[in-house]
Amino acid sequence: MATRDTYRGLYTGMLRVATWEQRLLRMIEEGRTSGFYHAGRGQEATAVGATMPLRRDDYLLYDHRGMGHAITKGVPIDRLFSDFLGFREGTTGGLGAGIVHIAWPEAGVLGQSGTLGGSFPIAAGAGLSALYRGTDQVVLCFFGDGASNRGTFHESANVAALWNLPVIWLCENNGYAVSVPTAEAISVAQISQRAIAYDMPGTTVDGMDPIAVYDAVSAAVERARAGGGPSLIEAMTYRYRGHYEGDPQTYRTREERDEWEAKDPLVMFPRRLIDEGYADEQWIEATRISVSEEIEAAAATALQGSKPPVSRIFDNVYA
Amino acid sequence: MTVMTYARAINRALAEELERDADVFIMGQDVGAFGGAFGVTRGLQERFGRRRVFDTPISENFLVGGGVGAALTGLRPVVELQYADFIAVAMDEIYNKAAKWRYMHGGLFSVPLVIRAPGGLAGGAGPEHSQSPEGLLLSAAGLHVVTPSTPADALGLLKSAVRSSNPVVYIEHKGLYGLKGEVPDGEHLIPIGVADVKREGTDVTIVAWTSMVHRALAAAETLAAEGIQVEVVDPRGVRPLDTDTILASVQKTGRLIVSHEAPAPGGAASEVAAYVAEHALDYLAAPIQRVCGADIPIPQSSDLEQYAIPSVDDLIRACRSALSYR
Ligand SMILES: Cc1ncc(C[n+]2csc(CCOP(=O)(O)OP(=O)(O)O)c2C)c(N)n1
Repeated sequence: MATRDTYRGLYTGMLRVATWEQRLLRMIEEGRTSGFYHAGRGQEATAVGATMPLRRDDYLLYDHRGMGHAITKGVPIDRLFSDFLGFREGTTGGLGAGIVHIAWPEAGVLGQSGTLGGSFPIAAGAGLSALYRGTDQVVLCFFGDGASNRGTFHESANVAALWNLPVIWLCENNGYAVSVPTAEAISVAQISQRAIAYDMPGTTVDGMDPIAVYDAVSAAVERARAGGGPSLIEAMTYRYRGHYEGDPQTYRTREERDEWEAKDPLVMFPRRLIDEGYADEQWIEATRISVSEEIEAAAATALQGSKPPVSRIFDNVYA
Repeated sequence: MTVMTYARAINRALAEELERDADVFIMGQDVGAFGGAFGVTRGLQERFGRRRVFDTPISENFLVGGGVGAALTGLRPVVELQYADFIAVAMDEIYNKAAKWRYMHGGLFSVPLVIRAPGGLAGGAGPEHSQSPEGLLLSAAGLHVVTPSTPADALGLLKSAVRSSNPVVYIEHKGLYGLKGEVPDGEHLIPIGVADVKREGTDVTIVAWTSMVHRALAAAETLAAEGIQVEVVDPRGVRPLDTDTILASVQKTGRLIVSHEAPAPGGAASEVAAYVAEHALDYLAAPIQRVCGADIPIPQSSDLEQYAIPSVDDLIRACRSALSYR
């Protein structure tokens, strides 16, 4: 159950993610890093709400949409900036980011598959590993509506259900795979319906409501830890920016965006905190200030970094 | 020394490594009670239990990708693709995940995964169950690819692969499963990426892999009767390639023939030929010859399939032609 601390934590978490991204976008505008970044603005309630229920030793396979999952799981945000800046202080030691391969093993962040759907088998394998080693760790695997169509989902969902693997399949359904709307690519009305085929629980939740996402994932985590196996959770959400920075977005209307922007979790959720008595204006304002300061300090730290020597490209090919 | 078959040597390697390290496990189709499509894992589930040796659904992407996930989180999986041809089914998992996960994630992980893949002709198995697809992995930086040709190499290379912190594709030749040979007793490890000179000679070098090692040895035997001394070098893998041993041999003999079952285009033979041309052209007394599989899919018929790969005679002819070149 979500407590006052949960509400406040979710708000702070979403604000950190959105403010971090805003600062990154400035770096992109300044030409400090490439525009290959896939912004997550609008999807914070899903990324943060789903990742918060995890323990530090649980595993995360995130996807390309925003950095909300990785930040929430505990990747230090200054190192994250450094990755995008191509600095040696980044988690990848200067290999750079854009299409992101940031990882942070000490917080269970296993990384990202750049080929969509490549994370499904790896997540199942990490779940198998937890079971084999007799731990109660769980695995959270993020993917988009587009990636849900990869055959790897079928193979991985089948073994996860067959062997009761502790995996939470978390689909961020934002309505589009680049320009292709879900209705033109997916055979079912809701991706969660596909859970039936694997005899695992499947639910669709409001992905703009961090509490709804948090509650659904908490239940799935509890179930997985107790040996109850995998779950599929589909969070209905929307990305406010283009697929990538510079996307002309000819495939969707202004009206549609307005409709979703009216549900902006960064506007709606603080109001709810106040309405439901979890926080007051002063707390909201103080949080805004402290988060801005934290992000600015992280950016300042990161900007002092340096590029690696060219010899870096030859490191780490083999162990 | 004990005489055992190639299949038995693989089984022994697996048993010894399962015994040695509790993090090692085996998964694949029919590898459990059934003992594997070719009987190679026979008895292992009975001995080590269903937790350590188990069957999977027909899900090659999961098999390899799941192996990567388990390897990233502290285990040492040995996964079996039923046929090496199915490398193509799991190519994203092999080429982009197993090979590159460590590099692209800044060296924060290692991927101690072994992928066993039975390749080669097996007597009428057809175009999708007979290939030697090691060439597909030549450019897979981050991966090791080994190819044993004898029971002793099969044992030593597999044990090293299981202990390696890197992902290793272990291509075993189906046609060699019944081959008997002497295998050292006790701990036997062969370092990955080190070639073995299977026969010493001074006149011509044949670099050959798996089944072609044996055909090269047969050719060498025939030619020895005519006073021609053939050196047979088995690289025992394609990645890394032991170019030092190959160069040393060519510098000695001045003639090079490179041979594998797979067609020459995109194969390891082409890589060896290019390397030697770059580094030892001055030593060559005759053009390099690639005596490789025909550039066709492998026909289904067990008679016809033999014409798709080099014969002992092809190798003998190539040696004679190299020696008569002027
Ligand atoms: C296997 C594969 N196919 C295509 C791509 C190129 N690609 C990257 S993101 C993307 C759209 C993904 O859509 P979705 O999964 O819904 O996630 P979203 O971008 O909407 O967050 C595509 C086609 C890829 N990276 N991998």
